[in-house]
Amino acid sequence: MDIILVGMNHKTAPLEIREKLSISCDDDTATFEKIKKISYINEALYLSTCNRVEVLAHVFDVAAAETYLKDLVFSHGNLSSEEMERCLYIYRNDSAVRHIFRVASSLDSMVMGEPQILGQVKDAYRRSVEQEATGVMLNKLLHYAFRVAKRVRTETAISNNAVSVSSTAVELAKKIFGNLRGKNALVIGAGEMAALAAKHLIGNGVKKVIFTNRTYERALTMANDLHGDTVSFDLLGEALSDVDIIISSTGAPGYIIDEKMVAAALRRRKNRLLFIIDIAVPRDVDPALGKTDNVYLYNIDNLQSVVDDNMKNRINEAEKAETIIDEEVAEFSRWLKRLQVVPTIVDLRGKVESIIKGEMMRAGSWMKNLDEGERENVEILVNSIINKILHDPVTGLKEESENGGANPYVAVIKKLFKLD
Amino acid sequence: MGSLFFKIALVLYFLSMLGYITSLVVRRVQVAKVSTWVLFSAFAAHTTSIIFRWVETGHSPVTNLFESLSFIAWAVSGIYLIFQVKTKTRVLGAFVSPVVLVMAITASARLVEDAEIPAILMGSWVPIHVMLTLTGSALFALACLSGIMYLVQDDLIRNKKAYGFSRLLPSLRELDRINNICIVAGFFLLTLGIIAGSVWARNVWGSHWQWDPKQVSTLISWIIYALLLHQRFAIGWKGRKVAVLSIVAFVILLFTFVGVNIFFVTVHNFI
Repeated sequence: MDIILVGMNHKTAPLEIREKLSISCDDDTATFEKIKKISYINEALYLSTCNRVEVLAHVFDVAAAETYLKDLVFSHGNLSSEEMERCLYIYRNDSAVRHIFRVASSLDSMVMGEPQILGQVKDAYRRSVEQEATGVMLNKLLHYAFRVAKRVRTETAISNNAVSVSSTAVELAKKIFGNLRGKNALVIGAGEMAALAAKHLIGNGVKKVIFTNRTYERALTMANDLHGDTVSFDLLGEALSDVDIIISSTGAPGYIIDEKMVAAALRRRKNRLLFIIDIAVPRDVDPALGKTDNVYLYNIDNLQSVVDDNMKNRINEAEKAETIIDEEVAEFSRWLKRLQVVPTIVDLRGKVESIIKGEMMRAGSWMKNLDEGERENVEILVNSIINKILHDPVTGLKEESENGGANPYVAVIKKLFKLD
Repeated sequence: MGSLFFKIALVLYFLSMLGYITSLVVRRVQVAKVSTWVLFSAFAAHTTSIIFRWVETGHSPVTNLFESLSFIAWAVSGIYLIFQVKTKTRVLGAFVSPVVLVMAITASARLVEDAEIPAILMGSWVPIHVMLTLTGSALFALACLSGIMYLVQDDLIRNKKAYGFSRLLPSLRELDRINNICIVAGFFLLTLGIIAGSVWARNVWGSHWQWDPKQVSTLISWIIYALLLHQRFAIGWKGRKVAVLSIVAFVILLFTFVGVNIFFVTVHNFI
């Protein structure tokens, strides 16, 4: 009985291969049925996201189960065997446990610390439970994984700081304005990054996003997509007085927002704070504005360097997370080892209980002279003697199992008590 | 009894400061919430001590520098607690509580001595005048504090260092708002306080205004705060400039409070 994990992720497999696999695995239940049919597999969990496809299983025969799982991947993904060898990884026991812990804690994610993966693992587990494909082992393992993920999230700062340009922009805006409710944003130009940042702003409560573009139709398209307003490019100067956040990403060769424009706008807006994000190259906004009171100017490099710093911070935090994972893998492995002696303990107790039952039956003839209360007392006495006698060997067996030395004891107990 | 409660308040102020600072380090809101309750108990104990002192000594508890410091510390923590309820920016506590603690400790140095009270301070206008001006000063102190925090946060964001320490500070808008509220309320109280003082001055010195150094210095601070309000509401100043001016004005106010008595001869020589 072993735990194995077979899978591929964004690090080992290029997008084309992951695509093939995840498209063909789209019908989750069908895949699941196939996995469940593999007779060597006792319990299974199937996780498929855009960055990974993994099967976690509790198996009777490692070698056989591996072969079958590989075959499954092979037939599903339309892969050449050479491709598959290169992309697929297989972990067993402790390393499989470690891997699923790292995945759930978002240490194995493309953007380390991103929070979605935990939800995806939880969904995968829920589906497994619905398919009745989990048992003692995976239930315990996955609950451990969720606990590890929670510990990593609360005990380290791994998911604290923004690590994308657009979420950094939102974080900065919050430092300036507090919350973004009731704020207006202006998006100049039609870059993809600008659209992404606009989406982020809307997601964080910005009241209205106004789009403008030299080609008015393009502004209109973006405004329709994101439920925003538009303003004519010629009226850019006036538009500055009503907005709080400006995202500029035009292809203009020179500055389209200069000091004079902003100074005039600041007078009209009574110096309300203005946050300008210039993600255009070459720049759209005169850098001299960086020194103007009540104006905060960030260009793409500034944002990127915040992102880089935050990423470095995440990498530091990841080291702390790895320590937590080491601890938890060790803890799980102790549980697993204890589990190995559980059948023996159960057998032992079963045998003892059947002896008690038999003896009680035989003593029935004279016991019937006793009244109800006295009979109960005799039973309690017998049980407590048995429990006292069994307590030390059972504890000893568990302790030995945690150190990995339980096998000879198990053998001796089986032999002496004739448990087979 | 008064001094016992004051000691309790001191210990609680200290604990709340530790709590607030810990909450910043470990980044747990729960710790800050507990600290708020500790600060609230400190404030309650402090209030009790002031009332006891008033009853025990038979005169208003604001007749010398140390009593006044204690009163300001009390007012600052009270005003902060109100802000806490209104704005939910608990992070400010980590900056306010040390200020309160330092003032309270300084006050404790000589608070127990029961000095002779000059007859001039026995009128009923005295506590009104002093409490109004001191509460006003407490508000200005908070305005100054939020001004300093504004400048720090502004500098961090402007120089692209908006991580680490910056995340401990409230947003610029919040700081500007606190600064604004404190100055408006402080100016109102200071104005009333000056009027109450001049009524009392007429009773004891015969005229409403003596051109005493203390009075002149107070007038200068008052004018600066008036100017500040004018700039904000009429000209539309916001943020940095207001923050700088509120710090400058508070420094002059501090000079009025302690400096004048050291460098000038003044008839207003009790505080």
